[in-house]
Amino acid sequence: MAKVLEGPGMGLMKKWGITVPNYVVVTSVDELTKLGQANEWLKKSKLVVKAHEALGSRFKLGLVKVDLDFKAAEAAAKEMIGRQVGSITVSQVIVSEMIPHKEEYYCAVKSTREGTDILVANCGGIEVESNWERVKRLALEVGQQPSADALEKVAKDAGFTGPLVKKMADFAGKMFACFDSEDAQYLEVNPVVLREQDGELIALDAVTLLDGDAKFRHPDWNFAFAAEFGRAYSKHEMEVMAVDSKIKGSVKFIEIPGGDTAMLPAGGGASVYYSDAVVARGGKLANYAEYSGDPPDWAVEVLTDKVCSLPGIKNIIVGGAIANFTDVVKTFGGIINGFRKAKSEGKLKGVKIWVRRGGPREKEGLDAMRALKDEGFDINVFDRNTPLTDIVDKALQNK
Amino acid sequence: MSILANKDTYVVIQGGVAGVNAARRMAEFCYLIKRSLNVLAFVYPPDAGKTHEIPYGSGLVTVPIYKTVAEATKHHSQINTSLVYIGADRALKGGMEALDDSHIKVVSMITEGVPEKDAKILGRHATKLGKVFNGPSSIGIVSAGSCRLGVIGGAFDNLVLSKLYREGSFGVITKSGGLSNEIIWICSQFADGITTAIGIGGDAYPGTDYVSYLEMFENDPQTKAVIIVGEMGGDIEERAAEWYGAKKRRVKLMAVVSGFCQESLPKGMKFGHAGAKEGLKGEGSARAKSDALKNAGAIVPATFGALGPAIKEAYQEMLKSGQVKEPVEPASLPKLPKSIEAAMKADEVMVAPLIRTTISDDRGDEPCYDGYPASELINKGYEIPHVVGLLWDKRLISKQEAEIIKRIMMLSADHGPCVSGALGTIIAACAGIGLSQSVAAGLIMIGPRFGGAVTDAGRFFKHAVDNKMTVDEFLVYMKKNHGPVPGIGHRVKSLRNPDKRVKELVGYVKSLNMKTPCLDFALEVEKITSVKKDNLILNVDGTMAAVLVDIGFPVDSLNGFFILSRTIGLIGHWVDQKRQDSRLIRLFDYLVNYAAPKRREVPPLK
Repeated sequence: MAKVLEGPGMGLMKKWGITVPNYVVVTSVDELTKLGQANEWLKKSKLVVKAHEALGSRFKLGLVKVDLDFKAAEAAAKEMIGRQVGSITVSQVIVSEMIPHKEEYYCAVKSTREGTDILVANCGGIEVESNWERVKRLALEVGQQPSADALEKVAKDAGFTGPLVKKMADFAGKMFACFDSEDAQYLEVNPVVLREQDGELIALDAVTLLDGDAKFRHPDWNFAFAAEFGRAYSKHEMEVMAVDSKIKGSVKFIEIPGGDTAMLPAGGGASVYYSDAVVARGGKLANYAEYSGDPPDWAVEVLTDKVCSLPGIKNIIVGGAIANFTDVVKTFGGIINGFRKAKSEGKLKGVKIWVRRGGPREKEGLDAMRALKDEGFDINVFDRNTPLTDIVDKALQNK
Repeated sequence: MSILANKDTYVVIQGGVAGVNAARRMAEFCYLIKRSLNVLAFVYPPDAGKTHEIPYGSGLVTVPIYKTVAEATKHHSQINTSLVYIGADRALKGGMEALDDSHIKVVSMITEGVPEKDAKILGRHATKLGKVFNGPSSIGIVSAGSCRLGVIGGAFDNLVLSKLYREGSFGVITKSGGLSNEIIWICSQFADGITTAIGIGGDAYPGTDYVSYLEMFENDPQTKAVIIVGEMGGDIEERAAEWYGAKKRRVKLMAVVSGFCQESLPKGMKFGHAGAKEGLKGEGSARAKSDALKNAGAIVPATFGALGPAIKEAYQEMLKSGQVKEPVEPASLPKLPKSIEAAMKADEVMVAPLIRTTISDDRGDEPCYDGYPASELINKGYEIPHVVGLLWDKRLISKQEAEIIKRIMMLSADHGPCVSGALGTIIAACAGIGLSQSVAAGLIMIGPRFGGAVTDAGRFFKHAVDNKMTVDEFLVYMKKNHGPVPGIGHRVKSLRNPDKRVKELVGYVKSLNMKTPCLDFALEVEKITSVKKDNLILNVDGTMAAVLVDIGFPVDSLNGFFILSRTIGLIGHWVDQKRQDSRLIRLFDYLVNYAAPKRREVPPLK
């Protein structure tokens, strides 16, 4: 699942015939000033300025300003660009035209196991969240296209009347076309508004989640995907992502500030059980990590380096189930190199390392880990006979 | 019994390298349970018409590669299952091709990163056709004692340790590949092992979910309990709970779900597999799933670690109630033949080496010359002549000796385009021949008449010095036994037109404080021979030979100095012709003396 910021999200909707307000995304006030000279609407309309970053609660943070004239919009942009919010620096703002309206509606399209759901409500904004029963659903099977009749029916069910039935049905139909053609996993417009001057339905805000795995057939996806958890990716996270994108197999790394138990387990499934075990034991995760699919040793070494660089860690959990085809000697070789490098850089002081693993060449791999003891590492190594997450219990038993 | 994969399962593998690796693993399993290889064909258009050789025991099985699934099933009508290892961008097409083949009933997709939409289309198509589509991102399916599809089960040792050679009583369904192996192992240690284990893949919408497989297990009398290893995200665990709670089921359901850590993490932080996403309002959370399963009557241990004891307890109950009997282990199991490397490592075999080397070793992270790492030689200031010394004479020569060798090489690197070697290379280069062959054409010329006299010159001068011969004795000895003295005489150069290279080299060596008995002797020889005929001078081959013998190089290596040096020139000539894009050379008729018989009539054939 890959989140797309509002600007490119609106761009995709526009591509499929959905009316969106005029908008520009700028990285400096100068750029906005120049655009003001080229685009009449910026001077004529009331404007909204929003920080164009993957940030939650932008309203509360003062990163959304509404009802501005161009001068005030320039001032708002100046104030927002460069502002530091947690780990994110606001580098872009989106400036869009305010659409005078009275009514707000809701429309979303989401992926389901059976196919696709089209959701419609004749209320919008925060009202829809507290009145979820007013959201009506048109369920489509895999490969099925919504008929005009079905779309009108769901609009009627949602309480639309008169000419609005057809308008909403059209709008929802275009949302579906966008969803289906762009390999989206979730599209939401809240609110959909009725423009007073011409009675047209406009998408005021877009939440767009695309299927990152489908990027290969969308050469026009020229935008970067945004981090999904309300903060920007850190330097180390991006370095691991860069490695991940070019190897066979995978390495994953997410930092969790403030934790003291570092994770370096194998397997997309087992890694979460290890994380659960740490939390269940009252430990604090310093990160999430995972390597799988028989990645090259150097990739695991990069991952190890990042894990060892986490501040304030007391334990490192090098866990893993019994691998199917990931070579234990090779991947442990990467971890061992990473540990040695970290130690030579003065890291890992007072850090206990806990290892549990099985799989191809497990004996040799575990022996190599055990040998680290002779190099002065505080390391405890267990084989398949120790249940999966027992090393977490052992690591955290003094908590 | 088992589900989905059994003794009658025959497989086509769609894909390249990853598919071949899977076939090797599958062959190991077939060997363990003494059935023939169940992979009958590969489909991989770029290699269609070729074959893969899959190791089976100590032999190899030849498996053909076809262009299409239809071709594969036409030639091997027993095929009923396809494993898809094709890249994510072509997986939809490949999966559809397999599903649409009437022979194929089960398609399991191993490919990761398949677009969600494609996976849903494949799942839907399979349902419509009444077939099974498993995956994407599946690690595979294994039925103990009968069939392995994919790499699930891991290495051969693990197959044995996990008792996959015979049936147990537990069914396993997991999203995670690594954990499938873990559960199989746990079932074999805490109970009697598995019937069938299925990796359904960690994507958001697996082609076939828990419920479909639970139904199959419910109808398999051998399976007494099913273990689900779930993850947060989606609703397939909830559906499994619903299925289990709907009515009295024959199989016992046990489950663990991961993702509880999510409760104490920053919101929206996503871990693990693609499908591990919590929905809005907590649906799909680990807790919601775990509660749903518990409420439906499933056994849900609090942690993954508690699963082993829970399985043990369930198994003990089954034993007590007579539902299952203690399994009988086979008296012996086939052992996977070791590779030579592994057997040697374990001191089990001795192999007589084919060749013996005493000069270099490249098995480490860098080459060692006569034991010295190349990088250390570089960093300590050694140069090419030292490498020559190490590889040709197994000794570290002195700085002074290295300087002499360097000068010899510089003086012999080239001698213009007219000499045999360069001409050979140039003719080849002009004929459009490649570098190594053209240089070889030049090197072929090096022999008794061109450049190849160094070794012989060295040998005879050394013989004379070793035997304390006088120059006269030597010349008589040579005339009687060998003929002209190698290293003496030149086509062009003479006393009046001396070879500057010889003067240069002799001058330098004589300026050094070193003993040069061989060179001294050679110069004495020259004094006599050049009186007889003024071109019978000590030539560059003879000078090099004498000096190199004085330095201590073995006689047999001496021609090497000329070959090595002149290779520099020959490469230069080839590049030079190439750069000029020279045209094919043909000898002009006027350069040939046609001494063949005049044109005449051919007599009738008798």
